[in-house]
Amino acid sequence: MKKQRAVIAVLAFAAVAALGLVSCGGGGSSSSSSSGGGGGKEGGVLNATYASFPDYLDPQLSYTQEGWTAMGDVYIPLLTYKHAEGTEGSEVIPGLAKEMPKISNGGKTYTLFLRPGLKYSDGTPVKASDFPYAVERCFKLNSGGSVFYTSIVGAQKYAETKQGGIPGITTNDKTGEIKIELEKPRGTFTNELGLMFVAPIPKGTPMEDLSGNPPPGTGPYMITKSQPGRGWEYERNPYWAKANSKAMPEYPTGHVDGAKITIVRNPDTQVNDIEQGKFDWMENPPPASRYAQVKEKFEGSQFKVVPTISTYYFWMNTTTPPFDDVKVRQAVNYAIDSAALERIYAGQIVASHQILPEGMPGHKTIDLYPHNMEKAKEMLAEANPSDKEITVWTDTESPNKEAGEYYEGVLAELGFKTKLKEINADNYFTVIGNLSTPDLDTGWSDWFQDYPHPNDFFQPLLASESILKTNNGNFAQMNEPKLDKEITELREEQLGPEQEKRYGELDNKYMELAPWAPYGQRTLSTFVSSAINLESVIFNPTFGHYLTSFEFNE
Amino acid sequence: MNSTNRDVAPAEPDAGSAGYGPWRLALRRFLRNRVAVAFLILFFLIVLFVLAAPLWANHVAHTGPNEGHTLEKLHVNGEVREVVTPEGKPIGPQLFEAEGKFFLGADSRLGRDEMVRLMYGGRTSLLIGVISGLITTLLAVVLGLLAGYYKGWVDAVIARTLDVLWSLPVLLFGIAIGTSLALGGVSIGPIHIEGGSIWVPILIISIFYTPYVARPIRGEVLSLGEKEFVEAAIAQGAGPLRVMFGELLPNLASTIVVFFALNIANNMLFEAALSFLGAGVQPPNSSWGTMITVGEELLTTQPLLAIIPGVMIMLTVLSLNIVGDGLRDALDPRSKVRLEAHAGMTEPQGAAV
Amino acid sequence: MLRFIVRRIVGMVLVLFVVSILVFLIFNVIPNSPPAQRLAGKNATPTLVKSIEEEWGFDEPLPVQYTTMMKKVFNGELIQYSPRIPVDDRIKEGIPATLSLSIGAGIIWLSLGLLLGYLSAIRAGGWLDRMLTGLAVAGISIPVFLLAPVLIYFLTYKLEIFPNGGYVGLTEDPWGWLQHMILPWFTLAVLSIGFYSRVLRSNMLDVMNEDYVRTARAKGLSERKVMTRHVLRNSLIPITTLFGLDFGATIAGTAIITEVLFNIEGIGSYAAESIGKLELPPIMGITLYGAFFVVFINALVDIAYAYLDPRVRLGSTAR
Repeated sequence: MKKQRAVIAVLAFAAVAALGLVSCGGGGSSSSSSSGGGGGKEGGVLNATYASFPDYLDPQLSYTQEGWTAMGDVYIPLLTYKHAEGTEGSEVIPGLAKEMPKISNGGKTYTLFLRPGLKYSDGTPVKASDFPYAVERCFKLNSGGSVFYTSIVGAQKYAETKQGGIPGITTNDKTGEIKIELEKPRGTFTNELGLMFVAPIPKGTPMEDLSGNPPPGTGPYMITKSQPGRGWEYERNPYWAKANSKAMPEYPTGHVDGAKITIVRNPDTQVNDIEQGKFDWMENPPPASRYAQVKEKFEGSQFKVVPTISTYYFWMNTTTPPFDDVKVRQAVNYAIDSAALERIYAGQIVASHQILPEGMPGHKTIDLYPHNMEKAKEMLAEANPSDKEITVWTDTESPNKEAGEYYEGVLAELGFKTKLKEINADNYFTVIGNLSTPDLDTGWSDWFQDYPHPNDFFQPLLASESILKTNNGNFAQMNEPKLDKEITELREEQLGPEQEKRYGELDNKYMELAPWAPYGQRTLSTFVSSAINLESVIFNPTFGHYLTSFEFNE
Repeated sequence: MNSTNRDVAPAEPDAGSAGYGPWRLALRRFLRNRVAVAFLILFFLIVLFVLAAPLWANHVAHTGPNEGHTLEKLHVNGEVREVVTPEGKPIGPQLFEAEGKFFLGADSRLGRDEMVRLMYGGRTSLLIGVISGLITTLLAVVLGLLAGYYKGWVDAVIARTLDVLWSLPVLLFGIAIGTSLALGGVSIGPIHIEGGSIWVPILIISIFYTPYVARPIRGEVLSLGEKEFVEAAIAQGAGPLRVMFGELLPNLASTIVVFFALNIANNMLFEAALSFLGAGVQPPNSSWGTMITVGEELLTTQPLLAIIPGVMIMLTVLSLNIVGDGLRDALDPRSKVRLEAHAGMTEPQGAAV
Repeated sequence: MLRFIVRRIVGMVLVLFVVSILVFLIFNVIPNSPPAQRLAGKNATPTLVKSIEEEWGFDEPLPVQYTTMMKKVFNGELIQYSPRIPVDDRIKEGIPATLSLSIGAGIIWLSLGLLLGYLSAIRAGGWLDRMLTGLAVAGISIPVFLLAPVLIYFLTYKLEIFPNGGYVGLTEDPWGWLQHMILPWFTLAVLSIGFYSRVLRSNMLDVMNEDYVRTARAKGLSERKVMTRHVLRNSLIPITTLFGLDFGATIAGTAIITEVLFNIEGIGSYAAESIGKLELPPIMGITLYGAFFVVFINALVDIAYAYLDPRVRLGSTAR
């Protein structure tokens, strides 16, 4: 036989043999246990995956959903949110503090008491003075979250000088008293006390990013090993059972004994892994290409849709033509069709046409501009704007990219001369938030709540005080002094039914002026392997999925 | 020497006649290569296909390439079909069932006509692929010739420059350029390139691949430079230009042709990656590369959306490669490969070992 | 020889210097988004942005920022923005995976590329040649980001022949290592096999026409000896260059897409992550690390030339 042919034959045989060996060898899967009906069992180690490592694995620094999900049950702040979903999960309850704070002095003084007997995961006792240490650390590290606490007396100066401590916080380690003085009343402060930015950590914790070696915490779990970029691990906090759980009986203890998180960058692979039982849970939702499939196959048994408190919208620059005319903006609102956008988001958007999303206190459904293309064209013809050349901005991340392209198409249909500019997702907000960027006419944006207080949607996005030269968040550059005043007033009052009603009306007032064309609210999802009890998993609007809520099926 | 040795092709029937210059002979040889001619015709058909885009768009599909039809419904054979389902699944190929609309289906959740985009996108892909190929080859040949001929420090500088180019993180470059384009174009001295211009991906791709073609050419020039005919030419008093373009270049011809044809494949694919980062074809325009990227998301539901543009790229690259082979055979009179009736002559002697 | 090596080292240093400047400029001069603004987050105040600028030195003039960064590179103190960990550590962690990927794929694409090119050339014009040409072209026309998902879908999901991706260390579990590497190797190699086989084929056909080949045959050498000793050896020159470029690039981490799609935590993944977050420190670190290899391997290639083509070696010293 000719030599070359022999060579080919040998290679071919080797290839087939190798394949054969490999398929015998394994890589096969088996789901660990039966899909569960009722309860679950205690114990086991959760094997989970995130698509990217959080921005930081440090309580004072992290400002992303991944980070807060990762550390939600590891660091407990003075106040926290109820371990529940939806509106119930928006309720602020005591955390390390005994009770909700006593608010006095016209809303400027907050007094709390630390529960006695609390310990960190390294055995150090929790002291009241650890709280101001955490706040200082937040400022010292230039955390993005530090902006929530500049209203504390002396905090602004500390932010600039990084010296001298924060006089506005006084503590008494013997009694556990913590007293916070604010410069002005601030109705959002209880919510902000519930964020991890100011979760107490042992005094003396280094003033540097500890993502590679997270500090001890007070929650049911502790992070034992962190490999930035690759993953991290949890074990039970020994001092939770010994001390903290007794001091905080309402806080859940958690079912699994620990967890191992691996970063898997390819979301398609994550879905495959869950289906094959190689991983128990994926933190990010399935990618658009697999979403419909997964939903159809696993809804109810391994998959559920969870709402988020978010608004997806198209902003319009109210300071320059053509969008300085309210009629033009209203016309755009009429022209957008949420039904199309729902398809573009493969069903992961729930239509909404207002500032406040559902689930946010104060939300009252309004729809001032139901889709009507003829009406839109009419209004536009009447308004007859002088400048019809506009630039439409969006980012490159699907499906926001397609939403932007859809929007551009709609504007073109309305008769505008459009130019689409797509910016890489990591750059996007910085570019449109920089007022020196030319042609900032209109574009896409989204906003997920920082915490469930309506001010979080109005102040950063629509108040004129938020118009900044760089890092601007008020893309519409909305400047309505009367509404500004309403925002400021409401912010200083504590949130109650009266305030919620006024927030609902504020929503309506802004929508009448149509600075945005909001189109929907994003849904995320919980997708677990068949080994996990789907029913028990809790998705909290602020902290995401709780580690303490995962349990294996019987 | 006219030899009886079998590995020299038998003399052309009328090759000896005066009046047939080398180019004419090459043309005749090429035309006799039926496979190459067939693929040349295929290439022209592809070109015609993309040129016919406006015809199809206006008279058959009745839509532009960038118009979305997310909420539309087609009425076909009495049933109603949604262009995009509420779950976001675009409609599959209709062929002629809807009078030519959505012949290949919808391209994505935006409900654009895949066939129309394929044709318009093809223009962009071909332009980018071929023009970048030309620029790369030109730059590579010039740099390779200079480096290989002059050697010494000229070679050192050129070789190190190529190293720098090859080490640059192109993806980073792509993102940076993409953003800066959106912010108002890039100005280098007197040249101002607007965002969205097709020249951006062309230039980035050409420059990035230049080392990949220049270095092998440089290597060949270094080897060729030692050959006797070069020494002879220099001894005769030929200047550098004459040597480079008269002696060295013709001997590089087959390498150049092969690399050019292969390079076009790389260019088309690279453009897809760049477009994804915002430095290539600007949306909502399309190219075959971007269509693959977009279609890849729908791989499990509508695989054709990614496969069809991929096949178009493959056919284009295949035709150019085969035509390239035909060219090199036609241009090299001593080439072993003859695809006519003298098939027996092509068997290398002693292939049996 | 010594002069050659010294000159190459000097060249290497120059290349690294120029590359570092270019990367730095791309980042800072092309209008983009200033890192302080990005790091400050969605609720940032001007005070916060200013603090971040001071902390990282973004308010210093560009040349100062450049020298500070280069000092950190040499001291191994380069820190990335978020999380703030040393770049060195991440690069070191990623090297085993990337090397496994590059070396394995390199061996595959070189050997198969040469084999297929050789077969194409000696059977030029025949059906085998045409089929191999078709395969080669198919290989170079399929983008990695299409091939990988298709392979993953069919071979790891539908038929669970291979694991879903990830990397297992060779020393930990050799069999697991192999299983995890096969698909990525194949994906990475497919493109280059096509390219190399076409180039080799073309070169061999050229060389087969040379006078010295005819002479060798006339001398009575067996066809095999003619092919290997004369034809192949002289056809390998462009292949060597290409391999130097490709291999250098793969070690440098340009197999980004392959690494990300197969979840291999190598340099490429790290590069993808850093480029996505627009973090200059890791990008600078990875690029310099990569540039070093590119230049180093190209230097080796140039030495290999001298070996393969004695005329080059002798020619330059004779002048």
